[in-house]
Amino acid sequence: MAASAGTPRHPAATLSTIPLRRRLYGLGSIYGKTIRDSRLSFIIAAGLFGGLALALGAAIGTVFPTPETRKELGTLVGSMPAAMVNLFGNVTLMGAKMGTLGGYVTWKYGSLFTLGTALWSILALSGTLAGEAAKGSLDIVAVSPFGKRRIAIEKVAAHLTLVWVALAVLAVMQTVSSNAFGDASLGDQIPLAASAAFSVWVAATALFFGGLTLVLAPLLGRAGSAGVSALAMLLAWMASGLGVGGPLLGLDPFHWTENNVPLVQIYDWGGVLAVAAVGALLTAVGIELFNRRDLGVTSGLSMPSLPAGLLGVRGPVSRAFGDQVPRALSWGIGLAIWGALLASLVGSFSDTIGKDPGLLTAFRSIFPGYDFTTAGGWLQLYLELFLIVAGFAAATFVSKWASDETDGRLELVLATPMARARWVIAGGIGALLAVLLATVMWTVGIGIGASAGGGTIGDALLGSASFGLVAAAFVGVGVAVGGVWRTSLAAEVTAVLVVVTYLIDLLAPPLNLPDWFHQLALTAHMGQPMIGVWDPVGVVACVVLAVGGIALGAWGVTRRDIAR
Amino acid sequence: MPPVITLEKLTKSYGKSRGIIDVDLEVQQGEVFGFLGPNGAGKTTTIRTMLDLIRPTSGRAAVFGIESSADPVAIHRRVGYIPGEFTLYDRLTGRQTLEYFANLRGGVDPAYQASLVERFELETGKRFKEYSKGNKQKVGVIAALQHRPELLILDEPTSGLDPLVQQTFFTTLRDAVADGATVFLSSHILSEVEKTCERVAIIRDGRIVKLGTVEGLRDLAHHQVEMRFAGAVPSDTFARLPGVSDVVAEDHVLRLRVAGAITPVVRAAAQFELLDFVSREPSLEETFLAEYGREAVGAGANGR
Repeated sequence: MAASAGTPRHPAATLSTIPLRRRLYGLGSIYGKTIRDSRLSFIIAAGLFGGLALALGAAIGTVFPTPETRKELGTLVGSMPAAMVNLFGNVTLMGAKMGTLGGYVTWKYGSLFTLGTALWSILALSGTLAGEAAKGSLDIVAVSPFGKRRIAIEKVAAHLTLVWVALAVLAVMQTVSSNAFGDASLGDQIPLAASAAFSVWVAATALFFGGLTLVLAPLLGRAGSAGVSALAMLLAWMASGLGVGGPLLGLDPFHWTENNVPLVQIYDWGGVLAVAAVGALLTAVGIELFNRRDLGVTSGLSMPSLPAGLLGVRGPVSRAFGDQVPRALSWGIGLAIWGALLASLVGSFSDTIGKDPGLLTAFRSIFPGYDFTTAGGWLQLYLELFLIVAGFAAATFVSKWASDETDGRLELVLATPMARARWVIAGGIGALLAVLLATVMWTVGIGIGASAGGGTIGDALLGSASFGLVAAAFVGVGVAVGGVWRTSLAAEVTAVLVVVTYLIDLLAPPLNLPDWFHQLALTAHMGQPMIGVWDPVGVVACVVLAVGGIALGAWGVTRRDIAR
Repeated sequence: MPPVITLEKLTKSYGKSRGIIDVDLEVQQGEVFGFLGPNGAGKTTTIRTMLDLIRPTSGRAAVFGIESSADPVAIHRRVGYIPGEFTLYDRLTGRQTLEYFANLRGGVDPAYQASLVERFELETGKRFKEYSKGNKQKVGVIAALQHRPELLILDEPTSGLDPLVQQTFFTTLRDAVADGATVFLSSHILSEVEKTCERVAIIRDGRIVKLGTVEGLRDLAHHQVEMRFAGAVPSDTFARLPGVSDVVAEDHVLRLRVAGAITPVVRAAAQFELLDFVSREPSLEETFLAEYGREAVGAGANGR
């Protein structure tokens, strides 16, 4: 008897029903598995969003408690060059509302939430399909009885779910924070609808750049799509804030929503809708491209290779550095652009402030200890953010070093006549050289920006070494964790310590926490290097952490098993 | 001459899960030693302990007479190793990868490296991430051989290689042995071990359960005998003989399994009118399967 080719040889077995709970979280579906795999990044994002919303409310309520201080704040911000203030939020549109908690959060931290969430989407959506396809793990999933389109939809849906839940946490905490710490008479309280509208805007922007990544991923692969999307995001943000780019601004999602300032209840739903619609379209195109193209095969438009000399095959140090170079260049390019932008603006601003004693007094009363007559003084104001970025850069360098073991290369490397300790030391030096490269590029960016803006920032050029020192210290911490304990957690532990450092340094002064607690933050010991004031304790602490951490890691790795 | 590898009561435990227990063996210089066992039996754990990638819970591992955890670098200088699973630097080409490992070791003869590349027909201009599984394996094989090591430790070395390249690999291995190298070959492909090795150890559930020459292991095993009788099949006569088991009669054909000497079966058969008598020497694979069967395959699920 001939069997029909289209008919299964065996009747379908009766399978037990998969509980809904496991379909939503767990191993019951691709969606549930993706949610489960992303739980750590969700916990970090939701915790950071909620924690920052609370912390900012507490800090602003404490630093600017009276109508007078709010007025000073308004004067301060209003006096800044339009190009600079609008980069961080549409101050012109906010007007007097700038003096409210929602206005200040929008101005100083609004873009941080937006860029951070969009970056999360870029990294997740480049990894979830292109990254898995390149590794080969997606091949096994793709031969399960689902179409590729469904696989992509479930994975994207899982990521969007987590982004939306994290942003819901942000919305709730923003409203809670403004009610708990704000002053109703000063217009601080943010209604839940306004907080939710802010989150919707952030979500739409993240969808836009996540969708762009999905479209690019089948063409450029994981690293290429993530890199191009992140660069596009940064350029679009700056172009919109600075009002440059001419007709290209018509393609800029930040420009479309520049009149949307939800935390002060100024809405532009048309702009938000446009960003969300294009984001959804890009996502749909990305999913369709994934469905139609060969799995794991990119178009050949991959990122350019490094010159052979930079890849480093002479020895363990050059190889460790060669492995880090692409990351160091990525960080360096981003930081150089950011640094150049700030430096080009603060030069003329410091000159203006210097000529107006009244304004200078107002600034000094709000930010005591800063020298606003110099470009370096203004850069110092932003250094705290740069130092946190330095910490995250260090975490990525630690992650690359750790991948020797976590990816399974180390076994072959250690089968050569290379001692374990030498591998750690070489890897640590490679990571420190990567820090040096990124720091030099940042410094060059600041120098170029200052030259373009006509500012004098001699001290700041030297002070930018503080970025390298902090990054080196976190590299040391990460290498110590990887060497003594396990490399698979080294980067994560480093990133958590960076966040903790940031929160301690940010919250301890406004919340009047004990000084010893504030001193736990490494960044509290850096002085004001951008104006030439160094704290020797911080410098020594960074050097000790960097060198001691690598030495500790080298000692620790000789006492444990090597993972496969 | 002292053994190249000495394992004495070597034990490695991973907390609750089993690793290896009281492993004893010696490998002599110039020997090609097979290390057999089902998945998860402890082969890789043994190798990683020998190379000091993991540390023994108790017992001793020495290579070239050097305690593995005392001076691993001295051991590694004289060893070529292919891990069971590995990855290398995605951005480096095959050529750059080989150059890097040559630099780490020093003393690699470029002409010999080039001859290996040619012999294995490796396209060295591609980046590692662009290679197929088999070509990635070729890079690992050449990296392990290019410095003419005194000891080759090979964990499933032919994984991913096509049959022609496998043949090239074993030819190269024989050349290395002819040059005085010692080989420790871990595999679960029995035909591969049977063709290549002189002595074999079989590990199961973390313990060495058999150790001897390939021939010796075969002798320990059974013979498969098939007899075709002119008349009725005298099953009972044969079932009573020493070492005989699995007696199956089918029409005029009798099949049975004989452990140890086959002489009693031959004598008994001579009493009957036989149309055919076939005694087949078992392969190592049949020996292994007969010894462990399905149980062995399922064994080691908890091991490493």
